[in-house]
Amino acid sequence: MFEPASYESNLLARASLDQCVKCTICETQCPVLAVTPLFSGPKFVGPQAERYRHGLVVDHSLDYCSSCGTCTLVCPQGVKIAELNSVARAAMKKGHTPLRDQIISRTSFMGKAMKPVAPLANAVLHNSAARWAMEKTLGIHRKAAMPTAHSHSFSDWWKKHTPPSAPTRGKVVYFHGCAGEFFEVETSIMTVEVLEHLGFEVITPTQGCCGLPMQSNGLFDAARKHVRTLADQLGVEPDAPIVASASSCVTMLKHEAHDIMGVDDESLIKVGSRIREVSEFLLDLADHDDLPLDFSPIEMTAPYHAPCQLKGQGMGRPAVELLKLIPGLTVVDAEATCCGIAGTYGVKKEKYDIGQAVGRPLFDKVREINPDFAICDTETCRWQIATATGATVVHPIWFLHKAYGLG
Amino acid sequence: MTDVIVIGAGLAGLSASIRAAQAGRRVTLLTFGLGGLQLGQGTIDVLGYTTSGETGAGGSGPGPDRPVARPFDQLPGYVRAHRDHPYAHFSVDQVREAVDWLAGLTPDLLVPGDGANHVVPTALGAMRPTYLVQPSMVWPDPTSVAVVGPRQIKDFYPDLAAANLEKTAQVRTKGYHIDLPARPGEVDSSPVAYASSLDDPAFLKRFAELVAQAIGDEQAVCLPAILGLRRTDAWRQLSEILGRPVVETLLAPPSIPGMRLNEALTTQAKAAGVRVVLGSQVTGFESDGRVITAVTLRQAGRDQNFPASQIIYAPGGFESGALTMDSYGHVHETLFDLPLVGAEQKDLLTGDYWADQKLFTVGVGVDDSMRPVSADKQPVYQNLRVAGGLLPGAIRWTEKSGDAIAVTSALAAVDAVFATSAPQGGTN
Amino acid sequence: MKKLVTDVVVIGGGTTGIGVLRDCAMRGHRTILLDRADLAQGTSGRFHGLLNSGGRYVVSDPESARECASENAIVSRIQPNAVERTGGLFVVTPADDPAFGDKFLAGAALADMPVQEIDPAQALAREPRLNHGIKRAFLVEDGTVDGWQIAWSATASAKQYGGQALPYHKVTQVHHSNGQVTGVAATDLKTGEEVMIDCSFVLNCAGPWAGQITRMAGLPPVAVVPGRGIMIAMNHRLVNTVINRCIPPSDGDIIVPAHTVCIIGTTDHKVDDPDHLVVPREEVQQMFDSGEELIPGFRQARALHAWAGARPLIKDDRVAATDTRHMSRGMAVIDHSQRDDLKGLITIGGGKLTTYRLMAEHIVDAMEEQLGQSHPCRTGDEVCPGNEPGHNYLVTHRLKDREADRMTSPIICECELMNRSMLVDLLKQNPLDNFDDLRRQLRVGMGPCQGGFCSSRVAGVACEEGVIDATRSTGLLKLFLEHRWIGLWPILHDAQVRQAALDEWILHGTLDIGHVPSPTSVERDPVDDAPIDETGPTTMEELPPGARAPQPATTTRRRTRAPRSQAANTPKETK
Repeated sequence: MFEPASYESNLLARASLDQCVKCTICETQCPVLAVTPLFSGPKFVGPQAERYRHGLVVDHSLDYCSSCGTCTLVCPQGVKIAELNSVARAAMKKGHTPLRDQIISRTSFMGKAMKPVAPLANAVLHNSAARWAMEKTLGIHRKAAMPTAHSHSFSDWWKKHTPPSAPTRGKVVYFHGCAGEFFEVETSIMTVEVLEHLGFEVITPTQGCCGLPMQSNGLFDAARKHVRTLADQLGVEPDAPIVASASSCVTMLKHEAHDIMGVDDESLIKVGSRIREVSEFLLDLADHDDLPLDFSPIEMTAPYHAPCQLKGQGMGRPAVELLKLIPGLTVVDAEATCCGIAGTYGVKKEKYDIGQAVGRPLFDKVREINPDFAICDTETCRWQIATATGATVVHPIWFLHKAYGLG
Repeated sequence: MTDVIVIGAGLAGLSASIRAAQAGRRVTLLTFGLGGLQLGQGTIDVLGYTTSGETGAGGSGPGPDRPVARPFDQLPGYVRAHRDHPYAHFSVDQVREAVDWLAGLTPDLLVPGDGANHVVPTALGAMRPTYLVQPSMVWPDPTSVAVVGPRQIKDFYPDLAAANLEKTAQVRTKGYHIDLPARPGEVDSSPVAYASSLDDPAFLKRFAELVAQAIGDEQAVCLPAILGLRRTDAWRQLSEILGRPVVETLLAPPSIPGMRLNEALTTQAKAAGVRVVLGSQVTGFESDGRVITAVTLRQAGRDQNFPASQIIYAPGGFESGALTMDSYGHVHETLFDLPLVGAEQKDLLTGDYWADQKLFTVGVGVDDSMRPVSADKQPVYQNLRVAGGLLPGAIRWTEKSGDAIAVTSALAAVDAVFATSAPQGGTN
Repeated sequence: MKKLVTDVVVIGGGTTGIGVLRDCAMRGHRTILLDRADLAQGTSGRFHGLLNSGGRYVVSDPESARECASENAIVSRIQPNAVERTGGLFVVTPADDPAFGDKFLAGAALADMPVQEIDPAQALAREPRLNHGIKRAFLVEDGTVDGWQIAWSATASAKQYGGQALPYHKVTQVHHSNGQVTGVAATDLKTGEEVMIDCSFVLNCAGPWAGQITRMAGLPPVAVVPGRGIMIAMNHRLVNTVINRCIPPSDGDIIVPAHTVCIIGTTDHKVDDPDHLVVPREEVQQMFDSGEELIPGFRQARALHAWAGARPLIKDDRVAATDTRHMSRGMAVIDHSQRDDLKGLITIGGGKLTTYRLMAEHIVDAMEEQLGQSHPCRTGDEVCPGNEPGHNYLVTHRLKDREADRMTSPIICECELMNRSMLVDLLKQNPLDNFDDLRRQLRVGMGPCQGGFCSSRVAGVACEEGVIDATRSTGLLKLFLEHRWIGLWPILHDAQVRQAALDEWILHGTLDIGHVPSPTSVERDPVDDAPIDETGPTTMEELPPGARAPQPATTTRRRTRAPRSQAANTPKETK
């Protein structure tokens, strides 16, 4: 059972179940239901099952939901299906979350822990005996995609970095996220360099985890605490846009913390309304004829996968529109629902096969379009696609960085 | 950055988007969720039944309706009898051209029309009239039919369909079952699961073998409309294996034929350069009283204004919530609060399930360029046009007329945009 | 003609009659119960589902409150699966007089009814949707109860003792000679067969229809004053505790979480004919307004379905006949040996569902007194069959069951989680059931889609299992949809309008149900069926739903026109 405070937050999503007309659209698009009958589907575990719960969750198969959010995205009636499932999952797991879920839901802890011993950590993560042991003890599948640890963090780079002396535009606050700090350092650096190239003064406040992995593993109390702290940290410049290269974390700040966990602190709402995906931010400049288009051509055809969390922001595919502006570059939207990683879902021993099946149409598409090179905004999805296909998978900023001649 | 904003991704919204984009306009399509095509039957209706317009025997309501054989021949008379009908805005040629245009867009999916309605079997055993069908639905006029379905699908019952088809199609029928879950061990396979499995040639072969073993010497085979999602020739292969025509039978949602159509049109729209923004609701707008200057999209975390030069509003009718009746019994158009036609009638609903509920004829009145008009017939906004389910004057599910109303009004709206404005920029 | 012999005939298959059947059978009387419709299809199935703690009577009638408090505990014990122990709250809203709370506490003490005043903040923590302005809150032991399940499990218990229930048997005459009842004549409405039952005692438990039964015995009618009340089911449980307004009884003062929905009730208007109950628009508005007082935003919540029930009040000269709420809620027992010099007939009126067992005990005591017998009543001692002792119903039960068996049996009604094996089991047991009969036992079609998706599946399964042929199945499907609509159109707004439109798209747009041949042989339902006059309704107020046939064998033409294009096949009237 929920504490009253969190029960109240549950009401947000719960009220939306009244909008469900049982039309089946969510079921037709759910990537998990498409690959396994073990999951009863979003309509079933969402608006249907919710009528039978009041904080008491008896349908454990709802844990097959990957929280990708496709159901909410495609629902024409406004039912917060994925959000209902997340809340129910949290109720179900309250008090007995497996150690594995607690560890993988703390990205920054993992990053910090691995950084001093990066070569060793990488060796372990890519050593089959060690991975076998991890599967047995922690339930992390031996073949699951894992980040590559780095000896240097983004902050290490930033400390030594000299910003351009005379910015020509305003300030932007840069949000790199935990992965951008520890695992995807290059993406973070490229983002800063592009923003500075455009004339922005980039500010990078100290920033913690947004809490999303905890939330998706049902650890709401910890997640709430993290997102509140982060909102305060990112709110340092009340008038500056906040630009991010970690789209899942952006989703958390934009709406999930509010919609799923009922966090309605003013600081969060303000940060949520100001934060932009870097592609979204740059496309907006382009739409206002405010983005220099002096790109060097990049002759390449590459598949693009829009991560579920980015699609869930309901803004279309800004990266596709943006990359169209680079001469020579052909970006093909893979039009796949989900890569199957869904945050931490696809690394779990019992979900790995489902995750791989979910991702298969995407992997096939990547191999068909360009087996060596693919584009995706979210780090965990990039790891998944790269592990499955062997392709190099980059953030869209990679192309802008290159086309502006910065790298 | 955008010449035309289209709101809604049903048949009307997709048609308008494709038409405008193909003509070189920069189009942004805003849609809250997926459009309604996959909830429909996946064919294109023009007019399936007419009501006489005369009073029924008991002195109330219209008399029994009659099936329509050649819809375009009957439209002029039908419009004369129903002056508030959406078709009253169009010439017969306009409707025919719109439908032909759509058939031309998706040649693999829709059989070109020849002026005559088809009839398609339904899971309840009706023979439903419609105009453009998918090639898997052409009724071969057999004298005997085997109605076959897998036991694991819960929206198709061969015995029920067969017994009723015997009367409606006047053929000898028999119902048969096969035992083949869409996926191993499944007892409750969805049409999507079957259609995806039937995309796989090995599964299709197994399916065909079981059907062949089950049926007798009937001349044709009715199967549920699950014959392939991504491939459109599964029915043809089944037909070859079984050595007789195969006909897809219409099911409750999810509609596989509707999903095929939705997929084909969405792909066309994207290929034509339409920027599709899925998942955010248009919740408001800005206007100077005469012209709408922007629509407001409720995106994650914030409201985003989309500046608009021309807007085509095709959100659907009561089924989507674009039109609604509130708890006080007041009827509204929910986004622009447009004036409604028919809302003032006293008896919008009656307790007779079989009567036409007048509520569902309420809609947004328009001029011939699809601009919503006030009671004195003046356009409400110069740059706002509506299409599809919002138009008043027809109960589409009864008449079987919704699709052609949607396409024709969508094209009329786009054509009106062309007539008033030049494109503001090149294609992107 | 079928002939049966028994000791006692009970007329009326509501909870009162069924309680009497069970009690008679347990005391050793051979007993047959007759109802012209399904069990608990009348008043017992048309209420809000409250298992009363006594709180609602505690100020006006402490004796009733005391009875409720004790019977509440007994019913929870003997029929646990029909009862959910939700608890109840009496709340003082900003519009109410807080001083009434003192009377409430005083009455509760007098009636030995457990009650605890809690801080309004505690009440809000428990029920966050409640009006945040509530001034006082009292916790009581209200529960919720499924009237149909009460009826069936008590019937099952009666069967174990040789009792027999015959639904869809319409009584046509009560025979007597020389001042002594001798038998009852009835018609089996499902088969058309005449049935003659020899008996020496008739217990008239027909509730609002009791007057019609005394007329069939050729006696001056008992004056019944049916009080019509409407109820509206909302799409989900806005509250998980019964919420009562702490005021003297009034309209719309209670919200009951029952199964997956919550039900707001009720109104009270004197009606002449319990077969002609309506759901007037203005009363629907009244319920929505009252709902707002208790739960802000109630109007925006989704209303699913409305219905009306008739309180079975026997006329009491102490108060004006038009003001039924202030009549005693106690039961009235009319011994016709005293009133009409006819031995072997007792008519029962009044009462309430919570105390049905106690009422039955009194009635059977009265019968035995007339017969000069005295057997002990044991109905409170024994748990009814099909119930797991000590395990009350929880709203999660069905979800848990489906979690366990959804990989082995497909779910036919997705809203109310009825699977195929539940449906097939009942169909095979009762092959003559119509779809509303199935609904009352299985809840099929009672959720958000109101049959839009599931009803044609039921028709298909019935046909595939060989229980009902295609023609009849199609007819029953159409009849079911007609009946669902009766409870839908008076409350249709917002989300439910969208649902109704989608259902129309599916059933008419895609499946073209209007052009599937109509059968000529489906019997109309004696209770659920709404007669539609020759002229048809011209305003909503003129033909509200819930309107019923005066007699099942009415000759009124039901429909102004056939289901589309099927004028030649207009469904035939009930035999």
